[in-house]
Amino acid sequence: MLKIENLHAEIDGKEILKGLSLTANAGEVHAIMGPNGAGKSTLGYVLGGRPGYEVTSGSVTFDGVDLLELEAHERAAAGVFLGFQYPVEIPGVSNVQFLREALNAQRATRDEKALSGGEFLKLARAQADLLGMDYDMLKRPVNVGFSGGEKKRNEMVQMGIVNPKFAILDETDSGLDIDALRVVGDGINRIMRAPDKAVLLITHYQRLLDYVEPDFVHVLADGRIVRSGGKELAQQLESEGYVGIAA
Amino acid sequence: MLLDLPSTREESWRWGDPAAIAAAAGLPRGEALAGAWFLDLEGARAVFVDGVLDEGRSDLRHVAIAPLEGGEHVLGRRTTGNGWSLRVDANASAELIQIVHISTGGDNQLPAEIVLAGGAQASVVETYVGTGWSNRSTRITLGAGAKLTRAVRLLQASGFVSLRDEAEVGAGASLIVTVLGAGDAGTRIDGAITVSGDDAFAEYGGALLTRNAQKQECALSVRHAALNGQSKQIWRAVAADTSTASLAARVEVARDAQKTDGVQSLRGLLLKRTATVNLKPELEIFADDVKCAHGATVGELDQRALFYMQSRGIPHAKAQALLTRAFVGDAFAQIADETVRDAFVADADAWLEAALSAPLPLAGGAGGGASS
Repeated sequence: MLKIENLHAEIDGKEILKGLSLTANAGEVHAIMGPNGAGKSTLGYVLGGRPGYEVTSGSVTFDGVDLLELEAHERAAAGVFLGFQYPVEIPGVSNVQFLREALNAQRATRDEKALSGGEFLKLARAQADLLGMDYDMLKRPVNVGFSGGEKKRNEMVQMGIVNPKFAILDETDSGLDIDALRVVGDGINRIMRAPDKAVLLITHYQRLLDYVEPDFVHVLADGRIVRSGGKELAQQLESEGYVGIAA
Repeated sequence: MLLDLPSTREESWRWGDPAAIAAAAGLPRGEALAGAWFLDLEGARAVFVDGVLDEGRSDLRHVAIAPLEGGEHVLGRRTTGNGWSLRVDANASAELIQIVHISTGGDNQLPAEIVLAGGAQASVVETYVGTGWSNRSTRITLGAGAKLTRAVRLLQASGFVSLRDEAEVGAGASLIVTVLGAGDAGTRIDGAITVSGDDAFAEYGGALLTRNAQKQECALSVRHAALNGQSKQIWRAVAADTSTASLAARVEVARDAQKTDGVQSLRGLLLKRTATVNLKPELEIFADDVKCAHGATVGELDQRALFYMQSRGIPHAKAQALLTRAFVGDAFAQIADETVRDAFVADADAWLEAALSAPLPLAGGAGGGASS
């Protein structure tokens, strides 16, 4: 589904990704772990198409399409979802309006019919319910005044609504208490655990992986995947730290 | 024609554009624009074509045509002559009054007065369309406990609109004025509000949206001369292309105007780095027990918010439009009538669509899904 080959990327002239290669097939959950500054978030932003992150060489194909050639909104329409480590507050734009715009814009890019207001609200309400988010929060401005946990929950509601093929979740577990972690973990499994979907789970800690069991664990250090393994690698990292493994 | 306009060397006209006024006044007169400019609301209606009442399209009710003074102001005084007058008796409520000013070219002058006796209420919506120089003065007197709301839509496609507003707000009275500059004409708003009675409220705000090489500006002063007064100046300026939007807003608190509570929020948004927003917030406070919150900022759209929206599938131009709409929306919050507020939002949306070339969905309505 996603094939990254020898990816080099820089920001402000500083190279962050230094030849990263990774393949994720449909039905797989890949965890990316690594020390601070390794390039984990940069990988997410490069895949999401954030301006300012320049790819200097290498390639990324998604379902056979050159992902790097697509605008950020086209990547979303193609089925790529980027869950933010720090979801952005948007004063003056309600969650409902934002999500309906987003979903219908994606549908328009895919030449699909727009959902009516009623159809959309039904979908949004169902997803909010599944993630235990108060429906009234959907009427509030996007993420404004939300706690860290509520913002992450909102990311999952958004993911449920747009129902992507491939999700890159950047430290979705940070800022969550134990109960919220379980809810978010269940959300990821429910929305993304399917034979035709895949997930790239960027995380610092083992604890999210207790809920969302990865098929593969990769260690990202200094802009490259330095080690890959099964879920036992995450446990090893948790007990031994990155120092020995990433060296 | 000798216009005798102020010079930009005068501080109050430093961002002014007298040359644009002269150019607008020199535009040839033509046919009056046809169009449905009235909002779908019951009440009195007046159409002025080049400053002259079109009786066939008007239904004046409470409004009279009378000889009026335009005051001392350099632009206002030019309007002295026949104008419209709204006088409402004590404790009476006037029906909503809608006034459409159609200018066909050249210059046209029109004075107005709104005098509400104690406890009276009125609501006025004015819309400016067409071309040429439309110069207006509006002198407002609110008796004790009177309430006036006024909404002004500046939608002239070219030329210039200048407004001189003078208001005296009596004890316990409330004045709420909202102005939207969303046409392609130059604009100059001169406002002088005096909160002259105790416990009175005055709000004068709005949004100036400029594009191409257009200039719009507002020079506003609110003077608190009595106890427990409250005032708000919430302004938003959005400038695209090489345009300029300027706001000079002043709050004066006289020595005796204790317990004044003033709010001043001036915010500018640059849609291009070639555009200009000038903000000049001024506070002059002589009383010692007052609260005057104030803020003035100019910036660009939040790049993080733009990317966040794009990452969810919203194309760049539409994301810009949604964020800009949200930015402007703050300035319309005080419009109580939903139809009027929706009209302001629709005017601003039409402007955004043109300025950003991005279709916007109806707020809260059906549709959506178009991409640019």
